[in-house]
Amino acid sequence: MTKLLEDELRTYQRHREQLLAAAEGKFVLIKDDRVVGTFDSEMDAIRQGYAVFGNVPFLVKEIVEIEVPKKIFSPLLRV
Amino acid sequence: MTDLRSVGPVVELQLAPGTGASSTREVAARAPVLGLIDTGATVTVIQEGLATRLGLNPVGVAHIDTPTSVNFECYRYLVRLVLPNEIVLETIALEAPLARQHVACLLGRDVLAHAVLVYIGYGNLFSLSV
Repeated sequence: MTKLLEDELRTYQRHREQLLAAAEGKFVLIKDDRVVGTFDSEMDAIRQGYAVFGNVPFLVKEIVEIEVPKKIFSPLLRV
Repeated sequence: MTDLRSVGPVVELQLAPGTGASSTREVAARAPVLGLIDTGATVTVIQEGLATRLGLNPVGVAHIDTPTSVNFECYRYLVRLVLPNEIVLETIALEAPLARQHVACLLGRDVLAHAVLVYIGYGNLFSLSV
């Protein structure tokens, strides 16, 4: 489903333990196999992503131990 | 007059790429769409395929729980919502398939966090102030 960010998600998994130890609760910016940096806010990470890479796919992800899905209760969703 | 109870609080808005994601297709992307204000949505959702029309690329992924599925994986996009009176809100929206073709966007509680929503059911009226 999320093929456009497959490499970035793999990179996150590879660095997950280090990131949790160093920057839990912050947001990491990843492009391909490169961890660009961590940021206090998600918007800062996204703006840095656009500034460095332009309008291309990149991954901004909160560094958390346990991933909690977002809740969307609308019956309009077809998933 | 639209029946608020059956249709829900729907607003006309324009979607555009978020700051930094400038696109040559931005003009076309600013065509009006209809958004349903949805207090049951944690975050804003845009119709599947709309991101491509807007010339957007994903900035992340999210997992969502819905009434019929658990842990569904979808992309996240930085978008600008241009509401009536040129009020602009920037948010990170999810992309997922929506059942009603005329509604291209669910405006979630990330938008409502900046707003006052007044719903007057007996008067068939609502207002959204940002």
